[in-house]
Amino acid sequence: MKWSKAGALALALPWLLTFGIFWLFPIIYSFIIGFTDQQLLAADTQWVGFDNYRALLSDPDFLKSLKNTFIFVLGTIPLTTVIALGMALLIDKQFPGRGLFRSGFFLPSITSMVVIALIFTNLYQRGGYIALLSEMIGLSPPEHGFLYSGETALFSIMAMDVWMAVGYYMLIFLAGLKSIPRELYESAEINGAGKIRQFFSITLPLLKPVALFILVVNSIKSFQVFVEIFVMTKGKFETSTMVYFIYETGLTTKFEFGYASAAAYVLFVIIGVFALAQFLLFRRKQVAW
Amino acid sequence: MVTRIMSKSVKYLLLIALLVIMVAPLLWMFVVSLAVPGSSLGISSFLDMEFTLQNYTDLFRTGNIGRFLFNSAFVGLTVTLGNILFCFMVAYTLARYRYIINKLLFITVILILMIPAHIIIIPLYVLMVKTGMYDTYWALILPWLVNPIGIFLVKQYIETIPPSMEEAARIDGAGEMRILFRVIMPLCKPALAVLAIQVFFTNWNAFLFPFILTQSEQIRVLPVALALYQGHQAIDWQHLMAGSTIAVIPVLILFVIMQRHIVSGITSGAIKQ
Repeated sequence: MKWSKAGALALALPWLLTFGIFWLFPIIYSFIIGFTDQQLLAADTQWVGFDNYRALLSDPDFLKSLKNTFIFVLGTIPLTTVIALGMALLIDKQFPGRGLFRSGFFLPSITSMVVIALIFTNLYQRGGYIALLSEMIGLSPPEHGFLYSGETALFSIMAMDVWMAVGYYMLIFLAGLKSIPRELYESAEINGAGKIRQFFSITLPLLKPVALFILVVNSIKSFQVFVEIFVMTKGKFETSTMVYFIYETGLTTKFEFGYASAAAYVLFVIIGVFALAQFLLFRRKQVAW
Repeated sequence: MVTRIMSKSVKYLLLIALLVIMVAPLLWMFVVSLAVPGSSLGISSFLDMEFTLQNYTDLFRTGNIGRFLFNSAFVGLTVTLGNILFCFMVAYTLARYRYIINKLLFITVILILMIPAHIIIIPLYVLMVKTGMYDTYWALILPWLVNPIGIFLVKQYIETIPPSMEEAARIDGAGEMRILFRVIMPLCKPALAVLAIQVFFTNWNAFLFPFILTQSEQIRVLPVALALYQGHQAIDWQHLMAGSTIAVIPVLILFVIMQRHIVSGITSGAIKQ
């Protein structure tokens, strides 16, 4: 007596409900109100067509958040990926103390972003540890602390994000390295290929699927940067990002649901295009190998 | 030989430097949490610092941290239990049955797996306000009781279990409910452990949705409380870092106990392709 159609569907009911109520409905709802001027306190809602989208393109706050988000994504992702790969290579082989280093590197990734952001708010403040360290190597830190200057705030948050994320992606690279057959290196050695040659002809090409996974996952996550911005700067000092903009316009002061939803869809399309581009780029290169 | 030792020691030096960089900020949090309230936190004062547990006792005695801890634990455990049960049920039917509706449902799982969550910030807020769930435990629990990553993970695992397990149980006259929960579920323990730890960590650390979907201190969770505590004029670092340490300790303990599951959970996603 296997489950009947109805029984099989009943088992899936928790997902069916969650999907319908908390995903599908909100996704459609926000798409629709993106074309209205809906606000929390406004008496009636008007259909405005593409007005919200047009307004976004000439809204300096939105454009600034767009720019900051791209700086954040394009700045952190290459750094995170390269450092994570470097760390993975460092502890790939078995050696005494390997587990300790692996856990230590990974520790920031399992810590709450709020806690990390608070710790770094302290470290970045005027007279804080990072200011002292930068003075020691001869740099002059910003007068009021790293988070209180338009020139350093965003980069400081980016540096923290790289620090936090590398351990996580290191673990994924480690799994990727483990899946490369040892015989490949052995035969390369027999054929006289040096370590550097082996890295570029074996390790890197075979890590490509893992690297693609890391890039896509990290960019979907990074485009949505919000928590650290909220905790550390509240979007001030040139640090507002797109999700921060969505939060600020949609859920504070005027609660402009329609306008914020339109902004959310712009980000949605950007993330989709970005992920697809990475996918296509990597696929083409793989054919060339 | 000499160069071997040289490169070995360079490697260790590099590793130790990295380890210091990765762990020092968390140690700093702990050190500050033990400092005397109101004391200065410069380097000079750090060396001859007095340590005290007063920040912690303050938080419990005069602060609301007990309540925040309870909320975080209650929501985290409920959501984790929900995911273990529901992800398993859904994964089982998706793994074993090929009805059209199941195929369609699996597509929705993959779809939502890839959709960035920022898209539902506004509509979810509106939904919660309209249904009266805003600022209640429902808003913190109901939307997260089953998640696409979890379904995917458990489905992959169930597919490695031979269907003959169920056939044998059926011949023995076991009902489908019994087979589901007494035969298959225990076999899925490794996958469910991975799922549980991932869901709990994500939920325990979550800020964005608890922040936008709740308001009152009565149901505030720990990360939201920490982020909002900072909002006062001068930052009271000693108490703030004590609160942060309290938020980190459960995660740290679970990490030490369940490290194997955490690592395999993270890597399973990348390996599958």
